[in-house]
Amino acid sequence: MRIADAVSSYSDDEAIFRTRTQRVWMGILLACLLAFPFVVSPYLLFLGCLIGIAVISATGLNILVGLTGQISLGQGAFMGVGAYTSVWLANQFALSLAVTLPLAGLLTALVGVIVGLPSLRVKGLYLAIATMAASVILHFVFVHWESVTAGNLGLNLQHAKLFGMELDSDFKLYFVIIPLALIAVTGARNLLRTRIGRAFIAVRDRDISAEVLGVNLLRYKLLSFGLSSFYAGCAGALWAYFFKVITPESFPLEVSIFYLAAIIVGGMGTILGPILGAAFMTLVPEMLKVLTLLLEPIIANAQVHLAPMKGVVFGILIVGFLLFEPHGLAEIWRKIQRFFRLWPFKT
Amino acid sequence: MKKMLAGLAVALLSLALCFSSALAEDEIVFGETALITGVFGFAGGELHEGIVDYFNYTNENGGIRGHKIKHVFEDCGYKVDCSVAAFKKIQAEYKPLFYSGDSTGFMKAINPELKATENTLMSGVSYATNLTDAATYTRSFIIGPSYSDQMAILLTHAANEQPGAKIAIVHSDSGFGNDPIKAAKVKAKELGLDLVEVITTKSGSVDVTTDVLKLRRKNPDYVLFHGYVLTPINEFMQQMRDLGLKTKFMGTYWSSSELMIMKGGPSADGYLGVMHLNYFDMEKSPGKEWDAMRAYNLKVHPDKASRPNFYMFGWFQGMVWAEAIGRTLDAGKPLTAENLRATINAIENWDTGGIASVPVTFRNNSIPVGRIFRANIAKGRYEPVSETITIN
Repeated sequence: MRIADAVSSYSDDEAIFRTRTQRVWMGILLACLLAFPFVVSPYLLFLGCLIGIAVISATGLNILVGLTGQISLGQGAFMGVGAYTSVWLANQFALSLAVTLPLAGLLTALVGVIVGLPSLRVKGLYLAIATMAASVILHFVFVHWESVTAGNLGLNLQHAKLFGMELDSDFKLYFVIIPLALIAVTGARNLLRTRIGRAFIAVRDRDISAEVLGVNLLRYKLLSFGLSSFYAGCAGALWAYFFKVITPESFPLEVSIFYLAAIIVGGMGTILGPILGAAFMTLVPEMLKVLTLLLEPIIANAQVHLAPMKGVVFGILIVGFLLFEPHGLAEIWRKIQRFFRLWPFKT
Repeated sequence: MKKMLAGLAVALLSLALCFSSALAEDEIVFGETALITGVFGFAGGELHEGIVDYFNYTNENGGIRGHKIKHVFEDCGYKVDCSVAAFKKIQAEYKPLFYSGDSTGFMKAINPELKATENTLMSGVSYATNLTDAATYTRSFIIGPSYSDQMAILLTHAANEQPGAKIAIVHSDSGFGNDPIKAAKVKAKELGLDLVEVITTKSGSVDVTTDVLKLRRKNPDYVLFHGYVLTPINEFMQQMRDLGLKTKFMGTYWSSSELMIMKGGPSADGYLGVMHLNYFDMEKSPGKEWDAMRAYNLKVHPDKASRPNFYMFGWFQGMVWAEAIGRTLDAGKPLTAENLRATINAIENWDTGGIASVPVTFRNNSIPVGRIFRANIAKGRYEPVSETITIN
């Protein structure tokens, strides 16, 4: 049983992994992630990649909503900007993913900063409506800027290329998506330890007090929008490389709601929350499908008859989280950790 | 605690073993991403039942040249990522010969994967024009005329009925709605029709008053609707009739279902729909297969005396797949994607026994043939009013 973590310096206190146990578990997790594509079916590999993309986008949204307290319903549209940018660059100039991905992120960050401008005057529900309006405008651009987006027909994309290698399978893409997701999460974790991260939290907790303390609201709110959109842009670009086709219908408002739900279910303002939330939101519908399949021999035609119930069950699960564990899956995980830390002396 | 976990593991394993279904060697597998839930669930559920009933009917009658059909599906509610996941899962486990896709977006997204599969071909609910690009979509095909061909068939009928007629097009601002508009403008010009107005609305929009006033000023002989199922077509028709306009209304496949008769109101009387299939309810039997389909439906679903044309679509899709497999086996060829593809491309003037309303011929990944049906509200059914119209 470990009863305390002794630290003797500020740098130790700020370290991401403070104990040997944490480092060992992280090593095991990395080994599992490395082994994952070699041992699972193509279906599970697909879900793994999808979760990786969702983690990047949810982590980005968490910086904006969870850390800075700026509610946004534009994450789906920002992903669309990233996706269109990367596809256009790849198709027009035959650029590699190593170039299109950061460019997609940067352009989306710029769009995010512009969309974030109203946050200086409005907040809460008003800001949500402002970002939703931006989402509608961006959707209009996706449909009508035909010379770039090909309108409703959408754009197709060839296999991604990285350092001369063609990423022509989910297996290969996995080794791009998961490391990028790890970098994204590590980046967000590091952000918390910096002045910028602390400024974000100060803005979230009480923006007027933060301003009195010298936090420039204009700068930090827009920076938060920019960072969050950068993540969304990168996630959108990866989404495009993963699915190899994008249309304006690929990024509807539901995508933004999906990510908002993911960080709420996972636990806003934490680093683990968006990861767990993204995995939960991606996996639960699939698990419900498996459940209906298992019920097929007991309930005739269960797949058909219970199909509409999947949405209801999914909704109940989310409401259940909000009611019984408002701090999300991250808090449940912390409770489990605490349990084992004290086990067997306290159960 | 340990005992409980062990018990749970054993129970789950037993459950999985009990319910896992082995694949018999001579079985032919068909896959489907179904549309039972989601915005198009009202149509997708019927379509799915049509496919299932056709497969059960075929199995009860000896299968395809002795091969039983195994049908595996997953419902995805019109979500592309879910559909791709379902495809990969079914592909990994069963390697189906044919797969039914649930949206244009999915069929486009899955194209590279599909081409990389061993032998899978795909058709589905999409009539998108760019799926007729046989060079890109080498493994996909459309079970009917593309949206552009549907519009062309409607325009050809209008030109035959009233040469030089004034035409207006009303379409939704969506991928579905915008699909055939450019091609329709070209076709109208080619047929010598006078295209007086093109109106774009939101899908399902109901406030159409200003658009109706535009149409009143232009007073078209025909209004072609595309990109809707019912609303706002019924609103347009009602308001235009209230203004005393004698315009004839036309629509493409998805808006030519029984819904138009049931919910379109009196103004839907005379509505002209393009259809490559016969309807479930017809005044007289168009053929033996149609009779068999109705009898089978009544046998297994005694509570469903009538079916929308989405059910016919599902049944017909199953028929096309079975026909392709049957012909390939008859020719003594192995069931590979290339052979099945070649068989489908060679289908010419196929008599489907009354399921299709036209002799079926495949060209460029689709069946560019259709017929015009007229809604008779008093009788509660559609009636054919044109001969077969083929688009070259």
